[in-house]
Amino acid sequence: MASSHDADTEGITRRKALSALGGAGALALAGCTQSSGDDGGDGLSGSINIAGSSTVFPLMSAIGEDFAAEHDQVSVDISSTGSGGGFSNYFCVGDTDFNNASREIQPAEEELCEENGVEYVELIAATDALTVVVNPEADWIDSLTVEELAQIWESDPVQTWDEVRDEFPNEEIERFGAADTSGTYDYFIESILEERGHTSDYQATEQDNSIAQGVSGSEYAIGYFGFAYYYQNPDQLKALGIDDGNGPVEPSLETASSGEYTPLSRPLFTYPSIESLGSEHVAEFARYFVEQTANEDLVAGDVGYVPATEETQEEQMEILEDAIERAQE
Amino acid sequence: MATDNANASGFGEVSRLRGVVFEYLSLGASVIGLVALGVLLVYVTIDAFDLANASPEWLLTYFLTLVVPFLAFCLYSVSDPAVTRRSLAALGGGLVAVAALFTAIETFLVAIPRLSWQLAYLFVVAMPVTAYLTYVGSRGRVGAVGFGLVGRLVGGIAIGLALGTLFLVFDPLVWFLAYTLGVVPAAALYAYGRWRSADRASTAAVPVGLLGVVAAVFLRGVVTTYPSDLIIYIWTLAVPIAVAGERVVADRSSRIAAAAVGGVPLAVAIAGGFLAGGLGVPGPTALLVLVTVGVPTAVYVHRTIDEGDGVVGLALPVLLVGGALVGALVVEAWGVPAPDPWLDVGYVTEAPSSTAVEAGLYPAIVGSVIIIALVAVLSFVLGVGTSVFLEEYMPESGVLGSLTRLLQVNIANLAAIPSVVYGLLGLGLFANLLGFGLGTAVTASLTLSLLILPITIISAQEAIRSVPDDLRRGSDAMGATRWQTTKNVVLPEAFPGILTGTILALGRAIGETAPLIMIGAATTVFSAPDSLFSRFSAMPMQIYAWANYPQAEFRYGVVAAGVITLLIILIGMNGTAILLRNRAERGT
Repeated sequence: MASSHDADTEGITRRKALSALGGAGALALAGCTQSSGDDGGDGLSGSINIAGSSTVFPLMSAIGEDFAAEHDQVSVDISSTGSGGGFSNYFCVGDTDFNNASREIQPAEEELCEENGVEYVELIAATDALTVVVNPEADWIDSLTVEELAQIWESDPVQTWDEVRDEFPNEEIERFGAADTSGTYDYFIESILEERGHTSDYQATEQDNSIAQGVSGSEYAIGYFGFAYYYQNPDQLKALGIDDGNGPVEPSLETASSGEYTPLSRPLFTYPSIESLGSEHVAEFARYFVEQTANEDLVAGDVGYVPATEETQEEQMEILEDAIERAQE
Repeated sequence: MATDNANASGFGEVSRLRGVVFEYLSLGASVIGLVALGVLLVYVTIDAFDLANASPEWLLTYFLTLVVPFLAFCLYSVSDPAVTRRSLAALGGGLVAVAALFTAIETFLVAIPRLSWQLAYLFVVAMPVTAYLTYVGSRGRVGAVGFGLVGRLVGGIAIGLALGTLFLVFDPLVWFLAYTLGVVPAAALYAYGRWRSADRASTAAVPVGLLGVVAAVFLRGVVTTYPSDLIIYIWTLAVPIAVAGERVVADRSSRIAAAAVGGVPLAVAIAGGFLAGGLGVPGPTALLVLVTVGVPTAVYVHRTIDEGDGVVGLALPVLLVGGALVGALVVEAWGVPAPDPWLDVGYVTEAPSSTAVEAGLYPAIVGSVIIIALVAVLSFVLGVGTSVFLEEYMPESGVLGSLTRLLQVNIANLAAIPSVVYGLLGLGLFANLLGFGLGTAVTASLTLSLLILPITIISAQEAIRSVPDDLRRGSDAMGATRWQTTKNVVLPEAFPGILTGTILALGRAIGETAPLIMIGAATTVFSAPDSLFSRFSAMPMQIYAWANYPQAEFRYGVVAAGVITLLIILIGMNGTAILLRNRAERGT
């Protein structure tokens, strides 16, 4: 900068004034610069891609929301593609970091993952209680045995209610259930119907909402879906108790977590890929996820699933830490 | 004259019955469609703004402070006693009729859910009357001035926000370099060429500009220190916009007025940009909005006052804002129970959430806006290019002529292919083969551009075909080359038609869900995308996911708010395109 103590000048010349102004201007501008390529934050950064089951979607998105709020350099994106769609289109070809599933990974999907060299670990996300619902007007029915439920839904099903139990009315059964692309459908067959097969004489949909609408439209309708919908709208429908030989048990957070609600309580899963766990931000998200699975407010209150017990959570955490160690070697 | 009666000789008699029946049938068809759509939109609006819980007092307050002054303004602008009488009769008569009819239906037939007679009056009578008065009012000078001003305010805000959104993904630093090294020298050369009539300088402008842009892309990797975002926006956007406003005014008025029109909004915007940070609003966006609102408004106000006609109309924004403030004050002071709308500021600025009250659409809005901007550019360029080539360059006869016709048939058929198929194409071609990535904005916009390309091509072809051949021949006769004819005659004539087709096609693209699912676009993201290659979500994807949530608040309130947001953005987009089109039509 120009100094005004120069011996041979008396006033401030125009040139000096200009250069002084220029220097001051440059200094002022220097305060308004940025250098490209800096990213602040807490060090964790990157993206996490999640796809899979629409049943696990609300839970994953509630947890992802909290994680994203804490780490603003990490971008979390979640797609609801269905368990199978997520495995075959995205996860097993190496495009996603996590795949949610409302059932265990199937042999065909395991093979696909193996072909593409995608390794994974299975984590339990929560427990869901598959809920069988009827119209709230239907005061003649409170519970069904597993056998009766199978008669209603098997591939050659009974047609009227009095064929199920003599005291039921002689009215036709209207069925609303999950579509065959859904993990809910697979689990219903696995736990109730087994080799008797699922009837095709029913209204199939991916949306719990449509099942609820259908069942609340007729006194002689029956449907099944995940527990969350019933938990959030308990007055709209009536949940049936299921009798697995020890008397009827109604679906609730308590009966599902204590294991009384059989055979319809099912675990929900998420599958992180081992390779992705090698990145610190993915590993940190996976840890956070397992921590949150025991958070009752979040899992039960906000979403409507049964949170993991302390022991399950600790087990899962050990499995996860092993996998992370393997990945980061 | 051909009649339906083959045996008639001379002027036989023809029954009018069929004609009358046909007229009423077509009336019935349009009424059924429109009423169904209307009912749907009314319910979506009620859900989105929680109007079902609005107390009659609340409605009355805002009706008196906001709607009535606005109607009075329109009536003043029309200043026709007949219109005034008609409107008052419709408002008054409608009040009695709706109240009576509504009560009768509720008592004797069925209960109408989530609707009171006050709301019904608002939607069935007050809204159509307002729309009618807005229309006739805008034809008076005062009204035209008022709506022109409000339009510039709202449009300026929309454009400022859209620019801010685009800079979330497009690197402002590259833009800064490209502007400084390419745009500024090119513009300077061009202006110099025009000023000194040195053709060589004007011709050199384009290559110099391109060279500058290429240099900018190259330098981006080398240079590491840049001015802050705010300064970049001031230098690259605010100053040019202010200069443009200054030029417009300088053409017809004094230098001082021109400097004020350009300078005052610029100063306000810069001050706003630096101060906004303190209020928690991002400075660069505040600067952009203030500039895009301020400069056109200042130019408009100056012109109106200069012409001295309809100056009263400039009070319309004051009337509206004042009305809203007084309404809010009354509601606050008297403790009138107010509804709690789902569509509020938080909804459009926050990330999705698992609780309905906190749920927001911001990342999805940004995703949609970016995709649509890219789709608009891509499909316009590809569509207009293809249609010009097919119409102007391909011969109509011979082997190539048959090929053209074959192409035509195929393009028409492509328009009917299910969008899922385009999604598969995008997944295979753009995401996997070309490696643009699963569910990125680039993949999505390329896929959606292909999806609407047939519609754009067909409508652009129609528009080009409707340019009279006489014009082309006239241009040929003056010795113009084919390129000159296309550039100077065909495209300007066809431009409004081409825009109409593109608008319709873009409307389809913004609402598409199936192809986005196929290319693996995320259902939910929690932060806005920060590059064209980051995974993003779009509004229809998020709305569809919310519609499946078990909580009733999601399925009604949050989804409805999403639908209204989507509609508002669509209307904003279409409005811009329609303004452009009208301007082009007036120009020709």
